[in-house]
Order: sequence, then structure tokens, then C-alpha cells
Amino acid sequence: MSAIVCSHVDKAYGATTVIRDLNLSIEEHEFIVFLGPSGCGKSTLLRMLAGLEDISGGKVSIGGKVVNDLDPGDRGIAMVFQNYALYPHMSIFDNIAFGLRRQKVPAPEIRKRVEAVSRTLGLDPYLGRKPAELSGGQQQRVAIARAMIKTPKVFLFDEPLSNLDAKLRNHMRVEIARLHQSLKTTTVYVTHDQLEAMTLADRIVLLKDGIIEQIGSPAEIYGRPRNMFVAGFIGTPNMNFVDVTVGRAGNRWTLTGAGTVLSIDGAGFHLQPGDRAVLGIRPPDLKTAGAGAAGLLQGTADLIEFHGNDALVTFGSGGKEISALVPARDCPVLHAPVRFTFEENDIHLFDATSGASLRRQ
Amino acid sequence: MRLGRIIAKAVLAFAGFVAVFPLLWTALNSLKNSVDIITRVPRLVFTPTLANISYILGRDSVITGLYNSVVACGTAVLIGVVLGLPAAYAVARYPNRWAGDIQFFVLSLRFLPPVAVAIPLMVIWLQLGLYDTLPALIVTYSLLTISVIMWLAIPAFQGVPKEIEEAAFVDGYGAYAVFWRIALPVAARSLIGAVAFSFVLVWNEFLIALMLSSSNAKTLPIVASELSQQGMNVPWGILNASVVLLSLPPLLFLGVLSGFLNSVFRQKKT
Repeated sequence: MSAIVCSHVDKAYGATTVIRDLNLSIEEHEFIVFLGPSGCGKSTLLRMLAGLEDISGGKVSIGGKVVNDLDPGDRGIAMVFQNYALYPHMSIFDNIAFGLRRQKVPAPEIRKRVEAVSRTLGLDPYLGRKPAELSGGQQQRVAIARAMIKTPKVFLFDEPLSNLDAKLRNHMRVEIARLHQSLKTTTVYVTHDQLEAMTLADRIVLLKDGIIEQIGSPAEIYGRPRNMFVAGFIGTPNMNFVDVTVGRAGNRWTLTGAGTVLSIDGAGFHLQPGDRAVLGIRPPDLKTAGAGAAGLLQGTADLIEFHGNDALVTFGSGGKEISALVPARDCPVLHAPVRFTFEENDIHLFDATSGASLRRQ
Repeated sequence: MRLGRIIAKAVLAFAGFVAVFPLLWTALNSLKNSVDIITRVPRLVFTPTLANISYILGRDSVITGLYNSVVACGTAVLIGVVLGLPAAYAVARYPNRWAGDIQFFVLSLRFLPPVAVAIPLMVIWLQLGLYDTLPALIVTYSLLTISVIMWLAIPAFQGVPKEIEEAAFVDGYGAYAVFWRIALPVAARSLIGAVAFSFVLVWNEFLIALMLSSSNAKTLPIVASELSQQGMNVPWGILNASVVLLSLPPLLFLGVLSGFLNSVFRQKKT
């Protein structure tokens, strides 16, 4: 049975529609990440699941029960907020116990459960303190403990790591992943950080302007983006896009653009001679070409960014900036001519007008 | 840098002196005989006397005035808290299309000079047969306390991060529980300030009290002002003593409130 089902969900503030006819089904035990640029409606959607925002149209059910008109407390959810939202006037113990007290759980059991949860998250030394006396990471751990203790059907995370510094963020990300492995509670997690999304998610829901652009595993989203927006949003460094014109040469297809003509087999794509398309290729998929290779992207390296293991080489080809990620030891010198080739499997082709992928499903 | 700090500290010390010295001098003068007060060279060393204070406390009018002030102001502040705080919370958290108008109306109660409302109020209470009674004063003062408390409490409640209240909703609490258990304690520091300010405002209130009372409901400021109208010879010591008496209740009130505040925030043993 699906843990969460959204069918034809809309959200509007007055005349502004934030979410439009959204359909989504989340399986039990799944870790779902809502990913998208700011203002895409991902937080609004999460808050609608939580019951903190009204649902303008459609139906949301959690655990098989329609929750449209249920209060947040009756939905079987627990939520972790971006700014922790701890109760500043209560001790850590009371913060964690607050929800259980509402459920009229007997005091000895509350104590037992709070102690168990705080042991899991390493919070036992701080139970008597106030939230202001803890560091950001510890506060976020308290917020997670407060959510965990209610043994909810669904965990909701609203950008829980964005207030932490980079190092702590990595650490907490691993902790959240471990937590999900051991608790297996269905989780919906909102972030704008694709690294968090890729590392945590079973499935990513990529949103833009209140519409789902693609739902899929991180590998699917990365390897088989359904349109140019998804392709450009996911992956660092960003995918290169080159405008090309499709042509036919013998039994092969040609892509003309960026001052070069590329020849591909084209069996994996829906192509028509004369089509205007966009060729997408990720910087790590560009390989330094040996002498005599055909179907090349070439130019003069005009920017080299050293990343450690790799270096990002940016070169101009036919007036178009293209980046390639090469192993640092193969890094060309600045202003040297560079030549790159690629595997046909690694390229993406999109319709120039609609942006939809031309790949055969 | 060093010099800057010294100058800053000197300015601070001077400002502190300017603020505190008149109070101190008043307190000292209340303990002096008239001879010691009206000397050309101010005296710091003198033989203290309790004559002024005992004179003040011995007068029935002062005791009645003190009683009236405490009852009228205390009740008005209580009404202001009971009605004003929930109203402010509602405006801050559940704004409807009248929220702006309500806020403006509340503020507008403070626009008019008291003189403008004092005479109509006097006529109203005369017509109702409640002129010169404590209930009239309490109701009138409640208008002031409700408006002041609302006006100051709305931003205090707006300052409570919304997510904290939402977290409580997710924890299963309803709107009233969130008000009592989250919004009120979290905003307490600012709210205490609002309540204390409203108390001081009505405690010091003179004009309306003057218009609404003739003998029975006189408050302490009215009584104190009458002390200076005893002929040509201004009784400075007595005046100073009455000022001290006037200043004590607000200070006590603040002390009690901040004590309450501390107990709210003290770490609870679990």
C-alpha cells in the first residue's frame, strides 16, 4: 500500500497558482526527495502534506486515509523544520517529550522513550539544557529526536540541513541516511541541494513552477533526464548544451553546430533530418581525443579550474563555451589546443523548442 | 581606541548620573527637614527625619488615594491583559481583512489628547450615575490598558517564529494550546514590558482621574497634587515623600513581574 498519495492536487494563493494538478504516489519505507529551484513549490507541497497549508484542490491521503481536512496532529506525521523550530522556553527533554505529553502517554514511559531516542542521537548529556545552549547541529538533532519519538507514519524534512555549515551538513546527511536505514519510516525530504537529493533519495521528485518535471531514482534522473531543465539542473559541473541541426549522411546521422559536424548512429533517438535539436553532454563524459579521431569537439583551453582529482577545462568551440572534466594529470596547459570525443551512449538530445528529450524510451 | 573607550564610558556615566540623580535627590529630600532642603548650598549630610513620610502615611486622603490607585490601575491592567493579549495574538497570527483597521483603531485611541475625551467621559459617567466611583475609573483605564497592551503585544507575538508554533501544531496541539504553551511564554519578555508600560501609564495618569473623581475615587496623583496647594509655603519635604510613595508601586510591580518572568524561564527540573 502506498504511504502517501496525492491526486490532482492544486494549491493557489488568490489568483497565483503554486501547484498545478500534481499526482504522486509514495511507497511505504521510501525516501523521497522534493528537489527544485527556490519558488518551485516544493516546500509548499511538503507543508500541504503536513497540514500547515490548506489544499486548494485534489486529494491527499496518508496511510490510506484522506487527510485533506485533518489537523497536522492527526495525520500521523512528524516534521523537521529548516530553522529547527525548537521551543526556546523548554528544556531539551521537554522539547522532545512535548508531543507525547499531548498524547497522554504516562510519564514513566515518556521518560523511557525520551532517553532511548536521545541515546540514539547522542543527546543524553544535553537533556537538561535549553535549545539556545546547543550548537546548530545539536539543535537539529533535537528536532529530529522530537520527530522520531512520535513513531510517525511519515517523516517530513523541510531543508533540514541548509542552516548548517558544510562540514556539519555532510555529517548530518550521513546520520539521516543511517536513521532511515534503521527506522525505515517513509520520508519526504525537501531540499534545493542536489547532492543531498542524489545521496539520500530512493526517488527524486524534481519540481519546477509547481509542476513535476521528472520522478525517478537518482541514477535515472542523472542518466536519463526527460527534458533540458532536468538535464541542466542535475549534475555538477553543469551539462554542456550545444545547438545543433540534425542531418542524414548515409545510414548515420549528423549533428552540425558549434563549428563542427558530429556523426552518430542515432538509433537511440527520434530524429528527423533538418530538425533543430540541442545536444547535451556532461563535462565528465568528454574524453581527451587521440590523434586522428573523428567527431570531435575542439578549441583552445581558455579557463582551467583545478578541482583536486580533476580539472575543469573550458574551451570555446564555434562561439560556444564547452566544459570538460579531465583527470588532473591529463590537464592541458592554458591556451593549448584541446580535442574531445565522447561515447554516443553518454550524449543527450533534446527538442530545441519543447526541450523534451528525443531519446527513445 | 583607548581614548575612545574612556570617553564613551564617561558619557555613559554622565548619562546614568543625569537619569538617577534626580531620583536619588528626591529620596534624600524626603528624609530632610525643610531647613535642610531650602539652604542655598545643597546638603548631603544632614539629620534624617521620618516626619515627612509619617505625615504622608498618616493622612486618610493619601491612604484612600493609594487604595484607589492600586485598585483602579491593578484591575485595569488585569482587564487589559485578559482581553488585550488574546486580541493581539489573534491580530498577529490570524489576520483577517479587518486586522489592519483594528490595529489602526487601537492606535487611534491614543491620538486624541486626553482633554478631548475627558469631558465627554465625565458626562457619560454622570449620566450613568457612576461619576466619582472606582468602576468608572476602571472601565476608562481599561480602554487605555487594552489599547496599549494590544499595540505593544502585536509585534511581540509576530516576533515568535512561526515555525515554533507550527511545530506545536504538528505535535498535536490546537490553537488555544499553542497560544498558552508556546506563544505566551516565548513572547513573555516583550509582553511583560507591554504590561508594565500600561501599568505605569495609568498609574501616572492625572487628567482623566481629575475629571472623573471629586472626592471618593481620587487617585494618588490627584491627592499628591493637592499637597502642594497648602498656601504660600511649599512643603518640599512632604512633596518629595509623596513622590517617593508614588514611585514605589510601579517599581514593586516591575519587580514582581520580572520575578515572575524569571520563574517562567528558570530551568524546570524533570
